[in-house]
Amino acid sequence: MEANLDAMASPGAFKEDSPYRKALRAFVKNKVAFPSFVFLVGIVLATTFAGVLTPYDPYQGNIANRLQPVGASGHLLGTDEQGRDMLTRILYGGRLTLLAGFVPVVVSSLIGGTLGLAAGYFGGWLNTVIMRTLDIFYAFPAVILSLGISAALGQGMTNIIIAITIVFIPPVARVTETAVKRIRGREFIEAARSSGAGHLSIIRYQVVPNVFPQVFVFATTKISLGIVIAAGLSFLGLGVNPPTPEWGIMLNNIKQMIFVKPVLTIVPGIFLFLTSLTINLCSDGVSDAMQIKA
Amino acid sequence: MLNFLLRRIVYMIPTLLGVSFVVFMLIQIVPGNPVDALLPPEASQEAKENMIRDLGLDRPLLLQYMNWLGKVVQGDFGQSIIKKYSINELMGEALANSMLLALASSLFSFFFAVLLGVYAAYRPNSWVASLGNMLAICGISVPNFWGGLILMGVFGIMLGWLPPMGMTSMGGGGFLDVLAHLVLPAVAAGMVTLGTMTRMVRSNVYELLNQEFVLTLRAKGARPITILLHVMKNATPPILTVAGLQFGNLLGGSVLVETVFSWPGLGHLIYQGITQRDYPIIQAGILVISIFFVVLNIIVDALHALIDPKVQRV
Repeated sequence: MEANLDAMASPGAFKEDSPYRKALRAFVKNKVAFPSFVFLVGIVLATTFAGVLTPYDPYQGNIANRLQPVGASGHLLGTDEQGRDMLTRILYGGRLTLLAGFVPVVVSSLIGGTLGLAAGYFGGWLNTVIMRTLDIFYAFPAVILSLGISAALGQGMTNIIIAITIVFIPPVARVTETAVKRIRGREFIEAARSSGAGHLSIIRYQVVPNVFPQVFVFATTKISLGIVIAAGLSFLGLGVNPPTPEWGIMLNNIKQMIFVKPVLTIVPGIFLFLTSLTINLCSDGVSDAMQIKA
Repeated sequence: MLNFLLRRIVYMIPTLLGVSFVVFMLIQIVPGNPVDALLPPEASQEAKENMIRDLGLDRPLLLQYMNWLGKVVQGDFGQSIIKKYSINELMGEALANSMLLALASSLFSFFFAVLLGVYAAYRPNSWVASLGNMLAICGISVPNFWGGLILMGVFGIMLGWLPPMGMTSMGGGGFLDVLAHLVLPAVAAGMVTLGTMTRMVRSNVYELLNQEFVLTLRAKGARPITILLHVMKNATPPILTVAGLQFGNLLGGSVLVETVFSWPGLGHLIYQGITQRDYPIIQAGILVISIFFVVLNIIVDALHALIDPKVQRV
């Protein structure tokens, strides 16, 4: 999200009334998407500056104080099964979860976008090789493939990031390829070619600017899925080791207390859900603002 | 039609080969010697060398793959390391249980998705439509394992209306008993599908309602039910395609829900495989789910071609 705004805010990215500026204006006016975006920025800032915001240590708890209910004095969201402040751990834990959802989308967009660009632009045998190979990965449900890769690579947040990246590459490549193929035969490409532009120059100045919005909107729909899968894999024990705070593993740990304090198990997940929800609302807003169907 | 089906089945073969190769390679990317992954850690050096020879791990990769594939095609997934059972035995029952859960959650989500989606398309400004929209975006966003925990905490434990986990009660196991155990995991697993499908049905039906043939029908004085039938006939093929893919995702995505509810399906088996580093189980589970996914896609394609005359049956 912020990357998007940064890109839009960089000088020269848009002049008066460029489509991006129009889209940005429409996005800011969106009564659902923009507040969601503000909320997201808040979450990112809160997790980044968790150390300043909370007086508690995410690793140290008082066992006598464990499983305090929401609203207990001094513990806004209660305490977990080891007496650690829940809100503190949620704030620290968000760092890894958000990173593990966001990084794969960026990396897979770059790799998948490049592959799709090459396949769509050059066509022929290159297209066949790239797209048919990626088709194989389409034959797996996303969760299962990321689970398999991350289980094989072994426990760790980095491996989760790698697994989700691999899972996201084929869909991004396919969207890019379709978008490139749609404009490849258009006159302005022909015009550029006949005026002597090389492949690289055509791709850089004609193709990329035309397919970028489509790929960008598509990528935003994958962010929340990335975060949910990352938390899910971590929930299965493929992420960090306790006591490191992370949303997925926190849910797994507190799950064992569900028969004692059913309400407390809901708490660590609320932030995961709200993050995922607001990202999806933003993504809908971006898609509306840019008038592109994801 | 037969020709079309045969062609699709032939096209399926390279995909299945690719899928099996990827699943085979999963074990190869396990860091360290694959034997260390396959044998319990206390195994002797001799046992390791024996295993390397038995499994043909000293032979070229492609040859190993052919060997493995040969066995898998004959339905032999090998031995589970930890449980010491043949994986086939474990797999059969788990697959049936997973299918039951996937079917139940599809029924739940498809039914409500069509109901909500169609209504929201007809009355886009009603409160039901707003509720449907909200439910849909929440459904897409909610992590199903967290949704499962909430359902379990609220309806299974606090209110005690439904059994919180497992598939049968102690000593139970009748139809109604399984059905009661099925409700919570089915709803938890179905939330994402409900969200995706509701949005999809709504936008499809909404677009169709604004087409000229609907206007013509209205002008001719057709009854609302007749118009609905015409619209649904056009809306079904794309809905069916998405539904098929969603069913596959339900089968795959249920790993987490099955783990939460201790539902004895493939997902739970894979989870146990992960915690015990039982790689053959993980491999077999992933392969079985993926093969189902591929076959499902073919079935959806065939159904699509069968009911949509616009699809060329070649």
